Amino acid sequence: MLRGDPARDGLIGRGLLATLCVLALATAAGRAHADALDGALAVRSAYVNIDHGVFLLHARVEYPQGPAIRNALREGITLDFDLEVRIERERHLWFNANIVELTLPRQLSYHAVSDRYVVRDVRSGDQDTFATLDEALEYLGKVDAWPVLVEPQLNGGNYTISVRAGVRRGELPASLRALMFWTNDWARQSEWYTWSLPV
Amino acid sequence: MVAAGVNPRAQRRVRLNAVALSVFWGVIAIGAFLLLAKSTQNSGEFARLQMWIVVLNAGAALVLTVLVARKIWRLVRDYRAHVPGSRLTARTVGIFGALVIAPLLIVYLSSLEFLNRGIDSWFTVEVKQGLNDAVVLSRAALDLRMREYSQRTQALARDLAAASPAAVQARLDAERRAGDALEVSLFGARGRIVAASLENPLEALPAQPPPDLVRQVAQHLPYVSLEPQAGGRYLIRTGAPIAESAASRDPRFVVAIYPVPEQLAALSEAVQGIYSQYGNLAAMRGPLKYSFSLTLTLVLLLAMLAAIYGAIFSAQRLVRPVQDLIEGTRAVGKGDFATRLRLPSRDEMGFLVHSFNDMTKRLRRARAEAQSSQEAVERERERLAIILARLSTGVLAIDRHMTVRMANEAAGAILGTELASATGRPLPELAAGNERLGQFVGALAVRFAAGREEWREQIDLDGTAGRRTLMCACTPLPGEDRELGFVIVFDDITTLLAAQRDAAWGEVARRLAHEIKNPLTPIQLSAERLRRRLLSGMSEQDAEILERGTRTIVQQVETMQQMVNAFSEYARAPEMLVTRFSLNQLVTEVADLYRSQAPRTRIRLDLDPRLEGIEADRGRVRQILNNLITNALEALEGIPQPGLEIATRLDSTGESEYASVTVSDNGPGFPRELLGRVFDPYVTSKPKGTGLGLAIVKKIVEEHGGRIDADNRPEGGARVRVVLPVIDSTRGAGARERRDQLRRERA
Repeated sequence: MLRGDPARDGLIGRGLLATLCVLALATAAGRAHADALDGALAVRSAYVNIDHGVFLLHARVEYPQGPAIRNALREGITLDFDLEVRIERERHLWFNANIVELTLPRQLSYHAVSDRYVVRDVRSGDQDTFATLDEALEYLGKVDAWPVLVEPQLNGGNYTISVRAGVRRGELPASLRALMFWTNDWARQSEWYTWSLPV
Repeated sequence: MVAAGVNPRAQRRVRLNAVALSVFWGVIAIGAFLLLAKSTQNSGEFARLQMWIVVLNAGAALVLTVLVARKIWRLVRDYRAHVPGSRLTARTVGIFGALVIAPLLIVYLSSLEFLNRGIDSWFTVEVKQGLNDAVVLSRAALDLRMREYSQRTQALARDLAAASPAAVQARLDAERRAGDALEVSLFGARGRIVAASLENPLEALPAQPPPDLVRQVAQHLPYVSLEPQAGGRYLIRTGAPIAESAASRDPRFVVAIYPVPEQLAALSEAVQGIYSQYGNLAAMRGPLKYSFSLTLTLVLLLAMLAAIYGAIFSAQRLVRPVQDLIEGTRAVGKGDFATRLRLPSRDEMGFLVHSFNDMTKRLRRARAEAQSSQEAVERERERLAIILARLSTGVLAIDRHMTVRMANEAAGAILGTELASATGRPLPELAAGNERLGQFVGALAVRFAAGREEWREQIDLDGTAGRRTLMCACTPLPGEDRELGFVIVFDDITTLLAAQRDAAWGEVARRLAHEIKNPLTPIQLSAERLRRRLLSGMSEQDAEILERGTRTIVQQVETMQQMVNAFSEYARAPEMLVTRFSLNQLVTEVADLYRSQAPRTRIRLDLDPRLEGIEADRGRVRQILNNLITNALEALEGIPQPGLEIATRLDSTGESEYASVTVSDNGPGFPRELLGRVFDPYVTSKPKGTGLGLAIVKKIVEEHGGRIDADNRPEGGARVRVVLPVIDSTRGAGARERRDQLRRERA
């Protein structure tokens, strides 16, 4: 039945090839749909100043703008804007030690009844409203005096501080989060913005 | 012990492989489960683990694909190479695969359809429209309030434009109370608070106007906005510019904040919440379907690969005992009975394998027994062959067509041809050119033709070398098959008969010598006395008669005396006087003597110069030569050109040396019928011969441990050859014994 049947051999070969293609496509699917958050996403500037032993972070972030985001928000989608900060102590011949890892989580949504954009601080629950998306994004892009470290946490040596901004689709039911594995088109992160901590 | 399919190293490897695979898939499964659990709890964590999940899944699928491809490739290779069990494996894999893949595909397709339809049904146009309508309705309800508050604020602004500075605070307070506002404030240039009315002025300051409000009132336009607050509350913020007065050119505007009634706010918040929730879900419709489809496809793929792998693995496990059995059977077919198969289990297959092992065990035992029997037979056969070869008796086995089945060396030696290597050849064919064998075959054929299968008879075979007498016994070969043939056992009894004859003649000679010789002398003496006494007194006539009679008596007595002397000589066994002398010289002396006695006969000598001397009784050897030459000369009487040749030769047989003397003549030769008996006493073709000459020669030769034979030359004439050992000690013990025995008997 199998012996000397080139057509069948070809079929097996094509079947294997197709399987590999499906696997490759599936793993690349997430990347293929990652252009929904087109535009710049970067930490433009950031610095810390020390006020009474507290390190206060000031950052300016440029978030992507565009009709895609606007339309999505108007359709009811909620976006999470996370600003992550990481402070590490440098070590020789070994990985850096993580001193601080903090996230400033905020949500942006469109309030259809009031026709305003709402920015909500996830931790405190405080929220601000804006008439336009630009105002809301501008507000999100300005972080001032965010306390990230106190002096007693430092124990000599060199420290680096890194800041990264991220945007992703929020408000997903937990059961669906794993399924969105293949089409994570609403999640982007900026590069780390790193500098030495002035100690 | 060879054990097909029972390679301990291979077994260990298979077991290790199985354990490694189990551990690998276990780790993959647990890892995937942990990742899934972690990612569903925290979406941030999910983003971080996404790459690992991808790598893990892709890795698993890839490993599985490689494993399956390897298995399938091997299966196809084995199938093409007709490896035992590969067809059964392929068929089993096909059936298993079809049984697993078909339901999987059905479930997959129906799940896909159900998912697509189900997800689509969540997001209907009607729902979306209903939500939009609800939002519009909420907005409409709130717009009424917003318009109302905006108008109040504008009215307040107009009042304040005309009011004196002292009345401003009172007017603001009145408006706050009348409109149930949270605060009413009057701002000046750059947001400066001119006056404000708050519910609790000690607890808070007036809220700063938002930038868009400031921009709008700067353009002399009224401002109103609905601001959702945390906790589901709503505020309506209104602003209105105050017309510039002559008294004050400072641009001012009034801002009022009104709360939305709780019921209305709750309803609006509910509408907003559902709108937002629906929006989030609706945005996921496409990706959700896509994700579901891909996940299902991947699961199907993994399940199919796993199913195929499992099918191949199970089929191979199932078929392995069958393969072992096939290999075992082949090994047994090739004669390897040491094959033992590993018991796979205690089921029917195990029973089969056990039976196979039992069978090989029995076969092994049976073969060992057969081998030992065969070896015993072989040993017996070899023993028999040795016995047959050493037998002086000829043994010849022939079939019914007289084809040689077996013959020993003695048979060939007796019949004068090589028979031991003539197996398979018919006797008549071998008899061509061999007179003795031809006569033997003829004798056999006559008896077989007469239907005689078992007989024992004496057969005489005449040939140029003389008559040979065989004692033959024929017996049919035992066995069920009548075609087996016969075994013929025969002995050359010629020598035995001759010896018997010699012994008989010896006895006769002794008796003659004893019984006849004694009365001969008195007879002769009496005859001579009669003649002496009576001759003188008798008449001439009577005297002549007496003279003639007594002379005849005396002559006959002398003749008889000579004859008795000859017999006496024949029976005599005197002590041998062995000396070393030159045979060639002796031959020359004797020949010279006879040359002078018979000048007509040409006597030629052919002497071997290597023959320096022999140890023998010189006188008796001379007698041999005398007798032989006399015998030849008598035979040559009447021959036109009589010729006699005496040749000596030195022959070597192994370590022993022999001297041979051959006396040949060109006479008539021995009569054919006498050829076998020329050395017997009283066998002679001559009218005057006593017939004892050659008999005495033979006796002397045998006393010396030599041998003698006589035949006719091909060119005509007789030839007698005497062979004597050169060294006396070479003489056989038999010859000495015989001589000693004769001496004892005479004594």
